[in-house]
Amino acid sequence: MSVTSTSTAGGVRPMKLVGAILLTLAATIPWFTGSTFHFHIAVMVCISAMATSGLAVIAWVGQLSLAHAAFAGIGAYTSVLLVVRFDLPVLLGLPAGALVAGAVAFVIGSPLLRLRGVYFVLITFALNELFRLIMLDIPEYSGGSSGIAGIPKISLFGITLSSYQAVYPFALVCLSLVIGLLVLIRRGQLGRRFAAVEENLDLAESSGIPTARTQNIAFTIGSAIAGFAGAFLAHYVGFISPETFGFQLSVSYVIMLVTGGRLALWGPLVGALFLTPLPEFLRGAVEYQHIIYGVVLIAVLRFLPQGLVGLPAQLAQKGGRA
Amino acid sequence: MSFLIAQSLINGIILGTLYLLMAIGFTLAFGVMRIVNFAHGEFYMIGAFCALIGVTWLGLPFPVTLALTIAVAILFGALVERVVFRPFRNDELSGMIASLGLAMILQHGALILFGPDPQAFPAIVTGVFKWGSLIVPKSRALALGIGIVILLIFYLFLMHTRHGRALRALVQDQEIAAVFGVRLEIMYALGLGFGVALAAVAGGLMAPLFGVSPFIGATPLLKAFIVVILGGLGSIPGAALAAILLGLIESFTSSFVSASAADIVTFALVIVVLLVRPAGLLGRAET
Repeated sequence: MSVTSTSTAGGVRPMKLVGAILLTLAATIPWFTGSTFHFHIAVMVCISAMATSGLAVIAWVGQLSLAHAAFAGIGAYTSVLLVVRFDLPVLLGLPAGALVAGAVAFVIGSPLLRLRGVYFVLITFALNELFRLIMLDIPEYSGGSSGIAGIPKISLFGITLSSYQAVYPFALVCLSLVIGLLVLIRRGQLGRRFAAVEENLDLAESSGIPTARTQNIAFTIGSAIAGFAGAFLAHYVGFISPETFGFQLSVSYVIMLVTGGRLALWGPLVGALFLTPLPEFLRGAVEYQHIIYGVVLIAVLRFLPQGLVGLPAQLAQKGGRA
Repeated sequence: MSFLIAQSLINGIILGTLYLLMAIGFTLAFGVMRIVNFAHGEFYMIGAFCALIGVTWLGLPFPVTLALTIAVAILFGALVERVVFRPFRNDELSGMIASLGLAMILQHGALILFGPDPQAFPAIVTGVFKWGSLIVPKSRALALGIGIVILLIFYLFLMHTRHGRALRALVQDQEIAAVFGVRLEIMYALGLGFGVALAAVAGGLMAPLFGVSPFIGATPLLKAFIVVILGGLGSIPGAALAAILLGLIESFTSSFVSASAADIVTFALVIVVLLVRPAGLLGRAET
């Protein structure tokens, strides 16, 4: 369970280098192929990886949130309403979305986080449903079940990023910032506190770590990242409705996180990178796509408890034993 | 006015009985195996399709179809327990995540087999019962009657047979139950099998009223989920109380306020109960 176990095992350094090279290569694929479609998938990978990174921060303190889509929704609606109604530039709308999602998480976090394990999952599931129902009930803000269409595209200092090719570099920058934040947290004192709380809450508490506050910090940061990703998604796709941010979206973030690796730093990115393009290669067979998601999820849980990120270490261990 | 109250009362009890059929399996899976089963709604959907196949494709009478549905569901539940859930027996969170995957597989499997369109189910009975100004469609009365009979049979099984006692012992304390000779391998499969069967029966009973499609599992899952939270995860008496309560709240709120208000009220109630008393109305506190 220890979060540092992968970096202490022998022979991992070159593996990290290989991983970094592979990721960089993967990021440049759309420029090599030049296909608009590949640019679109690459942007979607970035958005999913950002949202899943937020979920990972919450998972680092041992909680699994099924309300992640709702926080993405809060961020999306905040940004869209500010941009559409108050003519705010999108570049300010995105952080505003993160801020509001984080603020909501901070306020409701302290009572919610008294619950642990499946109870926390259940209450966040109920919250996500409540968010959807309330949004459907206030169509003057949410657009009701027909949603809000024609959302302005992201624009940087007067230049509108209208094509997929133009959005992609910006998406890469945002994703790098989010992952940079995760690295900072992980390396710093906060990360060690998170790990202690995840490993053994009671022990952490008796060692003088304010566990409730620590969990709330993680929940707030993670949900703020979700808000940012949700706002990005809204301005990229150009359409949102309360149904966009339903149970299904929360579940797909969980699937990406678990597939990539629940506690690993690179888990969210690997999960998003593996699962987002998958349906695109099975076009015309959306049903099979979901079945594959389900099978992948159960197989990973069963055979790769540390996710795809843990695969090299697991193989190395097997090889070492043989 | 008093007529509206009486009508709401009857509708609420009908709803409550059906919610209870769903909730017992859900709460049993948690009580016995510590699994929060997000695939439970899909078992309802499978039950509805079994009934549809039995009645329209094979031309069997409705009671025979229901009996077959129960048999198929028990076997299917035992299989699912063996293949999907058994590896996660001591890991609540992984078991729950696995059930999310299972739900996706089942729902989209049905989508491939039967297509997305809702299919009409031939009416089993037609007409209404009338007492003064009270009206109960016969189809609903039939669903209610069969539902109550099945619940009673299950209650007798649980209270007065060896396996029923073993199941209850497992819910109370796994280790002690195992020490006293309860065979976990069999009882886990049986527990999930019965839970699946009750959900499938609910699906079969509701099919003539609401039609059949791969997506019909979502609402019953939500209801079971609400009932089980309110009653306390793992508590069967709690589920019974909460199911009737939920049926009445929904029926009264939608008669006197609106249907969307009913949904918001019940979800808000769920959140309050989880915060104030996570063990539910009749559940035992976790130690």
